[in-house]
Amino acid sequence: MPKSPDCRIVYVSHPASGLARSNFPLECHVEDGKIVRSLPFYIPDDVQLYEIETTERGNYSRPRKEVQMPLAFAAKQRVHSNTRVKYPLLRDGWDSDNPNAAGRGSDSFSPISWDKALDIIVAQIEKIHDKYGSMEPVLVQADGHGQSGYLQSLHFWGHYLFDMLREHKGWGWWTQQVRNPDSWEGYYWGAKHVWGFDDTLGEPYQDAVWDDVLEHSEMVIFSGNDPEATGFGMSGSVALEMPKWLKKAGIKIVAIAPDLNHAAAVHADTWIPIKPNTDAALYLAIAHVWIAEGTYDKSYIDTHTVGFEALKAHVAGKDDSIEKTPKWASRVTGIPVPTIKALAREWAAKKTTVSVYFGGPKIRGTLSHLTARMEAYVLAMQGFGSPGRQFLRTGAPSFYKKSLAQVPRYPEVDFHGLAFSPMIEYAIGHGPKSPVFIPRTLAAEAIQQRKISWKSTTAALAKAEDQFESYRYPPTDDHPGIRMVWNENGSQPGSWGHGNNWLEALRSDNLDFVVGVHPWLENDLTYSDLILPAQTNYEHEDLVVVQRSDILALFYQEAAIEPVGESKSDYEIHRMVGQRLGLDDAFPPADDWLKKSYEGTLAFTRDELSWEDFKKQKHVIYDCPTWEEWVEIKKEQGYSEHTGGQHWFWNKADGLQTPSGKIEFVSERIAKLDPDSVERPPLAKWIAHSEQADSEKAKTYPLTVMTNHPKYRFHVQGDDIEWIRELGKMRGEDGAFYEPCWVHPDDAAERNIIQGDIIMAHNDRGAILFGAVITERIIPGALSIDHGAKIDFVLLDNRKVDRGGCINLIAPTVQEKYEKGAEIAIPEMNISGFLVEVEKIDPSRIEPGIGMNYDELVRGRKSGDAA
Amino acid sequence: MSQKNFLIDVDKCTGCNLCVVACKDEHVDSSYTPWTKPQPEGGQFWMNVKPVERGTIPRVRMNFLPTMCQHCEDAPCISSCPEEAIKTREDGLVWIDAELCTGCGDCQPACPYDVIYKNDDLNIAQKCTGCAHRVDEGDLPRCVDVCPHEAISFGDDLDTAELLHPEFDAKPRVYWKGLPKPWVTGMVVDSNKDEVVIRATVTATDLKDGTSINTSSDEFGEFWLKDLTPDHEYRIEICHAVFENYSDTVTTTSDCELGTIALRTKSNR
Repeated sequence: MPKSPDCRIVYVSHPASGLARSNFPLECHVEDGKIVRSLPFYIPDDVQLYEIETTERGNYSRPRKEVQMPLAFAAKQRVHSNTRVKYPLLRDGWDSDNPNAAGRGSDSFSPISWDKALDIIVAQIEKIHDKYGSMEPVLVQADGHGQSGYLQSLHFWGHYLFDMLREHKGWGWWTQQVRNPDSWEGYYWGAKHVWGFDDTLGEPYQDAVWDDVLEHSEMVIFSGNDPEATGFGMSGSVALEMPKWLKKAGIKIVAIAPDLNHAAAVHADTWIPIKPNTDAALYLAIAHVWIAEGTYDKSYIDTHTVGFEALKAHVAGKDDSIEKTPKWASRVTGIPVPTIKALAREWAAKKTTVSVYFGGPKIRGTLSHLTARMEAYVLAMQGFGSPGRQFLRTGAPSFYKKSLAQVPRYPEVDFHGLAFSPMIEYAIGHGPKSPVFIPRTLAAEAIQQRKISWKSTTAALAKAEDQFESYRYPPTDDHPGIRMVWNENGSQPGSWGHGNNWLEALRSDNLDFVVGVHPWLENDLTYSDLILPAQTNYEHEDLVVVQRSDILALFYQEAAIEPVGESKSDYEIHRMVGQRLGLDDAFPPADDWLKKSYEGTLAFTRDELSWEDFKKQKHVIYDCPTWEEWVEIKKEQGYSEHTGGQHWFWNKADGLQTPSGKIEFVSERIAKLDPDSVERPPLAKWIAHSEQADSEKAKTYPLTVMTNHPKYRFHVQGDDIEWIRELGKMRGEDGAFYEPCWVHPDDAAERNIIQGDIIMAHNDRGAILFGAVITERIIPGALSIDHGAKIDFVLLDNRKVDRGGCINLIAPTVQEKYEKGAEIAIPEMNISGFLVEVEKIDPSRIEPGIGMNYDELVRGRKSGDAA
Repeated sequence: MSQKNFLIDVDKCTGCNLCVVACKDEHVDSSYTPWTKPQPEGGQFWMNVKPVERGTIPRVRMNFLPTMCQHCEDAPCISSCPEEAIKTREDGLVWIDAELCTGCGDCQPACPYDVIYKNDDLNIAQKCTGCAHRVDEGDLPRCVDVCPHEAISFGDDLDTAELLHPEFDAKPRVYWKGLPKPWVTGMVVDSNKDEVVIRATVTATDLKDGTSINTSSDEFGEFWLKDLTPDHEYRIEICHAVFENYSDTVTTTSDCELGTIALRTKSNR
């Protein structure tokens, strides 16, 4: 606790998790209007924590100290970043009669007043309405991660604003950019067709799963899973405890990934390096061993699954003349034959659980749906759901539940303890709210092409059947298409595929007006016509809804400091626009909205703590049940003391959200709705693709890039913070920071690359600069580069290249897998597992500053603006 | 007054670097005189988590050494300072008096642990103070407070354990546990069958003193003989009931990887 009487304690929501839900806040000390330090939060002693009991492996709890990733401690540095947008900025080349689209990304900006900014926006919106009769030509991009405030920094207000124009003024629909299943692609497009779980994004329920794993499991496979990076960033301390629980329980951790990631490097008992996105071949060979040796659960196959004979035939090569032997898989995966056999035998002999967390080959990789389906197959072959044979997520224990949390918690608290923003439906919904929509993976094409067709809304919670529905954009042939972009992301080029293409789309003549709402002038924000200055979490009051942790809580966030410049909160910005357009009732004062949300929670309805008293008390942290209480709660849901996860299905052999209710090796749904698909046939089969190491393209671009979530930043967020750059970047010989690129010594030697060299990774989509890290932590033939760095375009021998290290810029688009004009069957993203070549470059040939020179980009800066 | 010590447990550190950021959060822009003036925004690492990559693919692991001022009893920096600006508190924490420091820079090369930095703006030398300002208030140093794994402890009744570079002979007050020591690893397979060999006994015998340690190959045929003495010669023997013995000699100048070792089946005599 602070000793100084002048020190004020403020709880500030996590800087980056987003979606109206936060991790625990840090204890932020503020003196003289300045953020002095941020400390861990200690859960008070009177809050009852849980303890998971096992019969022979001891008890498991979590510490009262709650820390967050380094980014959270360093986030205060971003408040006064020299890229901070302090005033509304208008692009100098833009004019309402002539938008000069080609100037986006290179033109300078001038500060203007809020009044003028609102005049321009309202005029542009009204112009669209007058000319086209609806808001459909407006692409609203609001979604994704961002700052984690409940109301003020939420990124959905664009959707809400245009929805309210429709509801209150009858101005029609807008073009909704739908968030594709960005971190659960393989489960969504693939595993759903094996085991259902439509309600939980295609991943199996996590109810009380730790009780089961800690009691029974003997081996856990970390398939590209990295709780030390992704889990920690999303959930805080509990993600760091989870690997320690596994170790304490004596459970062997086997990491299978091309790289030795941060968790594997310190926790794995065995690391099995594998060539990127070849896991499906490994799973087929494992099935081969089990079938040959008769070591799979035959009775479970009979009672719990359908279509196994087809898999057996595929493994034997009866359909494609390739027997899926360990020897065959060894050539594809790079794993030695003895290791493949050993893994298969261990998996059969020991109770084995597979663990993921928003990472690895089943998200964002080429054909991730194939890998995810194969993984479900092998899990099924060993009696998925039986004690110790589970599917485990190492983070966010609140997600993916049927009726219970992952760890002991009162269901009442789970369902009524927290405030849930209705805005989430725009990002994680059962379908787009607007019938006029475009999946995020196809937004650039929709702007450029005028005509595009695809299958699936891509909405997170859409039923699996939706993946076979056809959609198109624009909705009719005489439709004007997209004329205006409302960008509340600032992350598209660095978080999705082929970012270069997105930036090119923003320069399209089709667009008359591009609005950006963001605190910083970065990434695609410089491609806006008008930028509205948003605040950081430090600058306003809000509710902090702690839902990403194992312990649920509500905090009241006071403003830590005065707003920077004339910035406003995201909510306030949209409220001001709404008021100009006559939507006063739709945008009540922030405090009214927060009060109403709070008064729906148990803290008020059960514990009778008034909004005013809550604001004084600053936090409510909910107790967890004792073990005895938890066992009773579980009993009501059909679980005994030491079971959880999919135990219900093991018992029942029915009830999955598949047509048969069972695990389907051959998908009845695909067989009915898309029987001739080569990409995703009714039975998942090994197929080669153009981004693989043995493809034609690999002759020019022989190295496969894999990309993980970064350890120190959060996607693109935080990449401009000095302390985070010092940790996560590499200092080049020219003094600049470079994003690290892991290269195996063999690949480096072949190209005369040594540790610390500045290298260029390139393919037909562009070129990016990195710092070479020569390491044994990556399999030969592959590179590991974290995704989502902050863009910094420079010239190298007159070629435009990115020095920021944003690998997403040259990742594939969905479109390129299909012929132009053909319907896109699976609009998945691929930012991990694609081909490049690398070469050493001479940094003295770099000419800096075509995209990041902020002092030149913003004209007429007021005195004292510079950092 | 009781002497304070740090204890760093390398086996517990996962390299999250929170200690590095917490240290910066505490000291950048904040002055805690007399113990220290503000740290500059970048470039100084009073706490520095040094990564140690060990082994070759696929037997690779990381160790991390959270390295800070070792608060030595016989600190070479103290004797190197012409202004007598580097002092030891009663509790043993070593600090640089910014009022006396002239920024001559003599202390930087004198420190064998390389933990002293020069602040060019203030023209002074700076380093970890052990969060003396917090200790005086009864609080833990920030690196200790933030560590999620209790890898860094602070107190006055800590086990002596190991020292980082005892050969520097500076009597550090930072104690260590689990400092990396050489390992010998490899994988055992059956030369005839493309199978791993499980439960082969692998023994390392120190040829200097005859002592030996052993382990067995695991379910993946891998073995790890850990915590060997550096720069010693070892005889490595692999024994299994159905295979002929394998033997090799290694010197532990660093971690040793024996690669994939194919054992031959014993002939029936």
